[in-house]
Amino acid sequence: MNLSMVNAAAPAEVRRSLWRAHAVFRSAALVFALYVILRFRDADARPGLALVVAAALVGWTALTVVAALRGWLERADWLVADVVVVAGLTLTSLAVQFARQLDGSTPTLTSLWAAAPCLAVGIRAGWRAGLAAALVQGGASIAVRDGYDERTLTNLVLLILAGGLVGYVSSLVVRAQVELGEVSEARAALRERERLARGIHDGVLQILALVQRRGAELGGPAAQLGRLAGEQESALRGLITSKDHDRRGAPPPSEVDVAARLAALRTSTRTVAVPAGPVLLPSRTGEELLGAVGAALSNVERHAGSSARTWILCEDLGDEVGVTVRDDGAGFARDRLAQAARDGRLGVASSIRGRLVDLGGTVEITSALGEGTEVDLVVPRSGSPARTRAPGGA
Amino acid sequence: MNRHPDGTGPPVAVMLVDDHPIWRDAIERDLSDAGFHVVAALGDGDSAVRISPAVRPDVVLMDLQLPGRSGAAAAHAIVAADPSVRVLMFSASGEDADVLEAVKAGARGYLVKSAARAELVDAVRRTAAGEAVFSAGLAALVLGEYRRMSRPDTADPADSSTGPVPQLTGRETEVLRLVAKGLSARQIAERLVLSHRTVQNHVQNTARKLQLHNKVELTRWAMERGLDD
Repeated sequence: MNLSMVNAAAPAEVRRSLWRAHAVFRSAALVFALYVILRFRDADARPGLALVVAAALVGWTALTVVAALRGWLERADWLVADVVVVAGLTLTSLAVQFARQLDGSTPTLTSLWAAAPCLAVGIRAGWRAGLAAALVQGGASIAVRDGYDERTLTNLVLLILAGGLVGYVSSLVVRAQVELGEVSEARAALRERERLARGIHDGVLQILALVQRRGAELGGPAAQLGRLAGEQESALRGLITSKDHDRRGAPPPSEVDVAARLAALRTSTRTVAVPAGPVLLPSRTGEELLGAVGAALSNVERHAGSSARTWILCEDLGDEVGVTVRDDGAGFARDRLAQAARDGRLGVASSIRGRLVDLGGTVEITSALGEGTEVDLVVPRSGSPARTRAPGGA
Repeated sequence: MNRHPDGTGPPVAVMLVDDHPIWRDAIERDLSDAGFHVVAALGDGDSAVRISPAVRPDVVLMDLQLPGRSGAAAAHAIVAADPSVRVLMFSASGEDADVLEAVKAGARGYLVKSAARAELVDAVRRTAAGEAVFSAGLAALVLGEYRRMSRPDTADPADSSTGPVPQLTGRETEVLRLVAKGLSARQIAERLVLSHRTVQNHVQNTARKLQLHNKVELTRWAMERGLDD
């Protein structure tokens, strides 16, 4: 017989844990059931038969515990046998106990132990089957009773909980495991696709670099072509590297990966150096920082000349994030910076400083004539309260 | 083997490993024109590992992206077999975690393929002379790696199980930062008032410490799995 196994595809490890828990329960319930049988034995109509039933309980427990740990209890025939045997053992109470016991003052011979097959069925086949098994066991223990009272009802509810609720929870756990497995597989497939794409990108980059080289060698109009190819090569390289950062997972919507965004700014005259992993900042902080970097870069374009090269370094310092923008342009004398600040002509610099101060960070601009300029930006990671701007400062 | 990159003595022996045939030919031509002796030009990592002991190159110029065994893995095998071989990695797509792996495995430096010919020749020459050729990007990756290892929230528990995590001295950090900002060794020497040689040593030490740590890591990993060396 083929029960529709709700948990059929579950990874073996999770099922094994559930079966181990079930084995523990059944053994513990056995101890309780044996205690009950021995305690009430003197009052029984057939005490000898009670002992036989006790032995049967022990035997069946041993068999089902082994079956659970070996995985046999996952089979429909075993589960059905379990339900039937336990129900049968419950019904033997009719033969063993007096009528006055059967009115509910004495527990059935199986008592709590009757919940075990409900658990087993629930684990294997979900809550509906578990509920059905519970109703069978419940039916058996009601059939034994002569009258009904709240204790009968309580027992029935316990059985339903065992079969139904445990069955439902175990289905959830198993389904979560399966989904996790699917996600891992999808991620692995994606990584493989990206690895293949990487090979293709490399081919394109190499051809562009080759054209750039040959163009420079040949000179003339070919050199112009080579330069264009070189521009595209830098742009594509920057794009690929920023995608590599994305590969580690796009940053959560409330955060910005500063390293990836900076990597996309690569050109043939602009080098970007970043650490290997993502450098995350809260959205507002990150965008403001990137805005300050953009302002620094425009400054380079305006003052350092078109042939100047730029380097951007991004550092993850734990509780702070640092970005340095350095160019090898003309630079300016140290005192000129202070002078311009006093004259109020330092528009760009003050906008950079203003942004950083709002974020609780710092800016340091160093320069010397003929040695280019370095703009050092540092922002704290956790949103610290904005410090008030120093009066008259830039 | 005598190495005289300044032109006196036998030419520097270079083995070139790149799976892109047109590129391989172009580089081979550039290197020969510059006076290097290209002892082998191969297209995959396994051949490189196999042939390296036979041709005994001074410098191996190796692409990161190779079919079959990756460039980083091939670099590791070659350096493990003969630590005197100097491996210079290059790739088309720029610095990333693969370059870091290659350096941890024993490579001396990195160069991007779109670098000008003069830069390539200079890099091979410097590698042959024993210098570490760190691009700004590689310096930033190495710096990031040291920082990652010493931060409790990002460190891999496996890193410290083999002993203390390698750390940079204050000076080494300074030098590495300046390399990452794009300064040349000469400019760094001027700024920090050090000799060119000292600056070079600092850079090489940062790579060496990572490589040693990595070697211990790999040995422990192999022992745990019962693999024989």
